[in-house]
Formats: sequence, C-alpha cells, structure tokens
Amino acid sequence: MSHSHDRYAKPQGPPDGTPVVIVRGLTVTAQDGRLLLRDAALTLRPGRLTALTGPSGAGKTTLLRAVTGLLPPGTHRTAGQIDVLGQDVLALPERDLRTMRGRHLAYVGQDPGSGLNPRMRVRSLVRELAVDKSSDIVGALLAEVRLPDDGRLAARRPGALSGGQQRRVALARALARRPKILLLDEPTAGLHPGLRDEVAELLGHLAREHRLAVAFSCHDPEVVERFADDVVVLDAPVPRPRTRVTGGVPAPCGEADGPPVLEVRDLHVEFGDAPVLTGVGLRVAPGSVEGIVGVSGSGKTTLARAVVGLQRAASGAVHLSGTQVRTGPRGRTREQRRQVQLVTQNPLGALNPSRTIGAAVGRPLRLHRRCAARHVSERVADLLEQVGLPPAFADRYPHELSGGQRQRAAVARALAADPEVLICDEITSALDPDTGAAIMDLLAGLRERRGMTVVLISHDLRLVADRTDTVTVLDAGRVVESGPTAEVFAAPEHAATRALLGMPTAVRRS
Amino acid sequence: MRPARGEGPERAVSAALRAPLGTLVKVLPALLLVTLALVGPWIAPHAIDTPVTAPYAAPVGDAPLGGDQLGRDVLSRLLAGGRELVLSSLLVAVLVTGTAAVLGAVGAVRPWVGRLVERTADVLMLLPAVLGILLVTLSWPGGGRLAVVAAAVVLGVPYAVRLAGGAAAPIAATGYVEAAAAGGERLRYLVVREILPNLRSTLLALFGLRFVAAVYLVATAGFLQVGPQPPAADWALMIRENSAGILLNPWAVVAPSAAVGLLALSVNLAASALAPQTGRKAVTVL
Repeated sequence: MSHSHDRYAKPQGPPDGTPVVIVRGLTVTAQDGRLLLRDAALTLRPGRLTALTGPSGAGKTTLLRAVTGLLPPGTHRTAGQIDVLGQDVLALPERDLRTMRGRHLAYVGQDPGSGLNPRMRVRSLVRELAVDKSSDIVGALLAEVRLPDDGRLAARRPGALSGGQQRRVALARALARRPKILLLDEPTAGLHPGLRDEVAELLGHLAREHRLAVAFSCHDPEVVERFADDVVVLDAPVPRPRTRVTGGVPAPCGEADGPPVLEVRDLHVEFGDAPVLTGVGLRVAPGSVEGIVGVSGSGKTTLARAVVGLQRAASGAVHLSGTQVRTGPRGRTREQRRQVQLVTQNPLGALNPSRTIGAAVGRPLRLHRRCAARHVSERVADLLEQVGLPPAFADRYPHELSGGQRQRAAVARALAADPEVLICDEITSALDPDTGAAIMDLLAGLRERRGMTVVLISHDLRLVADRTDTVTVLDAGRVVESGPTAEVFAAPEHAATRALLGMPTAVRRS
Repeated sequence: MRPARGEGPERAVSAALRAPLGTLVKVLPALLLVTLALVGPWIAPHAIDTPVTAPYAAPVGDAPLGGDQLGRDVLSRLLAGGRELVLSSLLVAVLVTGTAAVLGAVGAVRPWVGRLVERTADVLMLLPAVLGILLVTLSWPGGGRLAVVAAAVVLGVPYAVRLAGGAAAPIAATGYVEAAAAGGERLRYLVVREILPNLRSTLLALFGLRFVAAVYLVATAGFLQVGPQPPAADWALMIRENSAGILLNPWAVVAPSAAVGLLALSVNLAASALAPQTGRKAVTVL
C-alpha cells in the first residue's frame, strides 16, 4: 500500500450523481406555531458545492441543522422528509444518528470558535477526531485548510487565534473525520475578500477532489455566484420586516477641523508576552466614518476592545471628546461608557440568553436615562423597527432569533445608549446584502441627524470604500497606512494594503 | 430600579403554572415530604414523650410503627422529629448555595476577588466537616441548632464556591456580559441580572447536592447529640437511641432512616426537574 499524498482516501460512497441528501417539502415549526422553515427542498450530490442563500431569518441554519438530525430545541418537523444516505435522520435512533454524525456528516457552525475547547491546543483539537493517526496528519490537515503550521500555531489554544484562524481550525477538525457530507453555516462571513475566496475555493476543491457533498449557507451573492455549483434560495417564511432604504450614500462631512471625538495615541497591548498592538494611533473626527481594515489577526478587534474599555493597554492613551479615559475594565464613569458603544463580531453570544430582546434593548435606555420610564417600550419598538426587526420581537428570547436578527438586535441595543461613537466590528458579515445596506443607511442617517461618529471594522472592502471617509490599515498590530479612504484605496502605498486590495505586491528585493 | 417587563417573580410563577406534568410529578414528592415534616408535630396521634406501648413493642393497631426504647409511639416521634432537620438543612442549603453563587459570580467579574475567595476556600477545605461541627458546637455550647447551621454553612461554602466560580467564569467572558460591562453596568447588575440567571441549572444542581450534604451534617450532629437533646424527637436521635433494639422493633430505626434518605432523594429530584431547559442557552451543536 502506497503512502498516498492524499490524506482523504476517497470515501466508498454511492456512485457519482446519486444524491446523498434529499430534503423534500420540509416544514419546521417552533412550539408557539411560528414557522422557521416552509416547504424547503435540498439535494446534495458528491463532488458538488451547494450554496443556501436567502435573507436572514429565512431558515438557512435550521435547514442545515435538520440535515444533521438535530433541530434547534423546542422546534419540530411538521411536514416533509429528510433522507441522508438513505436514512431519515429525524426518525433515526440516537445511537445510529451519532454513528452517522461521527462517520459521514460534518457540521461547522456559524460561530466555530465556540465549538473549540478553549483548554486544548490546536494540535490536539485536530488530532482528536482524525481517522488517520499518523504523526504528520495535523500538519497535513492544517495545510489543507490553508493554515500552514509555522511551528507555533499548532501549540496555541483557541483563545490565541483570530476569528478567521479559529474558523479554519474548525474546518480542519471537520475534515479530520473524512466525512461524506460537509455542512457549513456561513463559512465566509467576516473574512476579508482574499481569505473569503480562498475558503470558497477550498470548499470547491474539497468537493471535487474528495467527492464530498458540500453545502454551505451564505448571504454573499458574489461568493454564491462565483463558486457554487448549485444554489438553493430560501424565502423568509414570514413576510420580511419593513426595512428603511434611503437613497444613495450621504455626502461625507469632509475633514472636520474640530478636535477629534476619538483619539488613540501610541497604544501598546500585549497578551502575556506577545505584542498584539504596537504603537497604534487613531484620530476620528466628529461625525465622520472611519474604517479599520486588515487581515484577520492584525489586531482590529483588540483595538476596538481597548477603545470601549474592555482590554487593558500596556501603555498609550485613549481620549474621548478630549478627555483621557482608561482602557481597562475599571475606572470609567458611566457617562464615558455611554459615549462609545461596541457592536461585536459574534452575534450569537452578544445577547443574554435569559432575557428578552425588549429587556436587552430597553436596558441602556433606563441605565443612561435616555427616555422616561413609561416611554421605554415605545422607544424599544421604535429602535427594533429602525434596525428592521418587527416590534413583536421584543418579547422573544435570543435563541428564537437567527444570527442576522440577533446582530440587528445588538445594533439596536448599542443605539439605545445614544452614543457619540459607535464601533461596529464586522456587523454586516452576518447579514444578507439588503439588510446590511439598510443598517448602514440607518447609521448614515443617525450620523447626519445626530452627528454620531462611526468606526467600521470590516473585511468587506467594498463596504469600507463606499461607506467611510477615512481608513486605517492595520498589519500585525501596527498602523501601516491611514488617510482618506478614496486616496488610500486608489494609491495604496504599503504592501499589506495592496495585498488586502488584491493588487500585485510591489516586489522590492535587494 | 423597576424590573423590565416580563421578568421577575410573576414570570417564574406563571412559568411554574404552565410547567409540564412531568416536572410537577418530579417536584411533588419533595413538596409532600417537606410539608409532612413541617406539619407533622401537629398531626402526631400521641404525645412524643409518654409511653403508649411496651419498649420496642412490635407494631399494633394503636401504634402502627411500634414503640421505641421507652415504649413511646414511633409514628408520632417520626412525624414530630423531621421539622427541625428539614428546616435546618433547607436553611443551610439555601445559605451555602446563595453565598457561593454570589461569591463565585463576583469572583468571575473581578479576578482579584476570585483569587482571594479561591485561596480562602482552599484553606477552609482542609478542615474535616465533622471535626468542624464538633469544634464550633463545643466552643459555643449554648448555640444549639444555630451553631450546627453556622458550622454547616462555613464548611459547605468552600466546596460550593469552587463549583459556582468555575461555572460563572465562562459566562463572565461572554459577549453579553462584556457588552453590559462596556455599557457602564455596575458590578451588582452584572452579577444579579446578567450572570446568575444563566447559572440557574448549575445552581439548582448545586442546591440539591448541598441539601444532601446538609442533611448528612445536621443528622451527624444529631447522632453525636450535638444539637437536639433527649427527650426531643429527632430522626437522627431516633436512629441512635433505638439502634440497640433494632431486632425487636426494626421500624424504630428503619422509619427515620428511610425518612432521611427519601428526603435527600426527593429534593434532588425536584431540583433537577426545575432546572431550565436548554432553549435559552446560546445553542451550539456538534
């Protein structure tokens, strides 16, 4: 037997063209009778990459989970069939289902980082599930997901990886079992274009080379169009909420001359001994939109956390409206905390599972006395409507919302505090383009009316180009370039910026 | 601060009323047993300190569980002897779980408090429980039941706080607690509204465990005659007093022993049935 370079012996599956997953007329209902999925159909064939698209709340995640035989708690199938490798997974006994999930099915969720045991090193996380126990399997799998091991990466724990790296480790874990069917929930959300294309290409490669049936949910029409072999479009089972769409991009306020509303000077942040931010500076004029871009792991999120006072800095200063504020979790006044609000990258953990959406959004209104107590529920309904959620959602719990809907609720909560500066960490990455655009329009409107300043952290360079006045490029914890967005994007000077924009890097070698 | 709409005790009560039959069935034994122990002294058919039969008499019509070492009615003493034990144990379990939950949650949000609590707990854990009870009750002879409760709380918290702290740590690191902290919430709010509600299932399980531990400790104290003194009726005391006659009237020992065991079992069953379903967790699968 030869030592094949190919780590995934081709699964002895059904012959090509035979569907491995057939879903017909699937309807899933929650306990209170809400429809999560209506009459959905899906067919997966080995060697083909199938994309599930549709607006947020359309049931993309529910459909993927149904194929794994695990519907969200409190929901059940009311009609339809799910046939996976010839068996109805929802009728299968627990034991057989486990065997099937262990051998043939792999699922990578929307927030893969939370599925990684924080106490285990990358090496053990990948090896744990590997069918092939040979010594170089970890390196091979990591290389397969384009996460080359530089000798240190395999020894890290998930906490020391960026969001994009965690996602690829989760994918490597899924591949280690050599499944026949690979299901991924939003695998490209929140990745910068280069990485996004790389992951999408990788999925296509896995499908074709290893005869995997791959299904992924995605709200990015470009990825779907370029990479998917088959497309399944889901419609929202309930009529879409009204989203306010204003025409065009408001004119930027230009270079404001006043003092910056947010200024970061020479910020150094270290995790243990490893420097994460080195001498970062940032000046954001009032009423402007600042973009922060950089590859995953470049320190964008750490910068945002230091600004909102969640990450203690080793040295350096953060000034809000001219006043120096602390970077650590203690020592800011409530008013200083109100002035800057953060909407985080991961919508799944952003809302307290024990509290209703209405309670979560209403809390900043009460805390910062933004309106009279008797008007709170009206204001909450108003805020929810602004972010495109029906006001009735105020009585729901976070687990009853989809990822995109939770992201919008998190935006509503941040807006409730009426902040001077709103920091958005990849907020559109979990949203379909229409909702994403509606949210950006909402922020633009607030900026115009209230002079709110927005800091937009994003991998979506088109979004940054369209929506920001100035941009700062981070690379390995340093600011490598900053200035008006149009100028930086038209004539990037630094190699990192050129790489982000997908331009050929100027080769300068001596 | 007014609680937000849809929260607070009204919601818990209405949730309990809508609870499925299964939950009710699991909670019922504990409710019945605790109620019986509480009202027992009033419904006991005979006085607990006057003989009605011969010593260690076998069960007869008038005394269905026979007589004890002095010929007193075992059934009456059984009914009368549970109240103190149940009340003390419930009190200890509530105090231990509550203190541990608050200390654990505060420790998760403020790391230096967490370290201090953990080190203190490490030291206290070295003290064996029975020795601790003896120390407290001997150095405070007039303390009676109160001394036993105090000792059980002091000895129970260190174990419970490690568990509660461990469960609270990942919750303190979630996005919603960070969002609340970044939004200017005070420590009190973070602990009471953001962390503790999400620890419900852990805390209920912990409560069940601490209740059993408390029954064990209080009963041990009773058996060692620290606490209730003859002629008071007490399940632990009954086991001790009547152990000599176990062959003549086994019921005098078996009945109070079974009562202690059933109490511990049923309260744990109820605690696990009351733990919330997983729906309100941020669900991640596979």
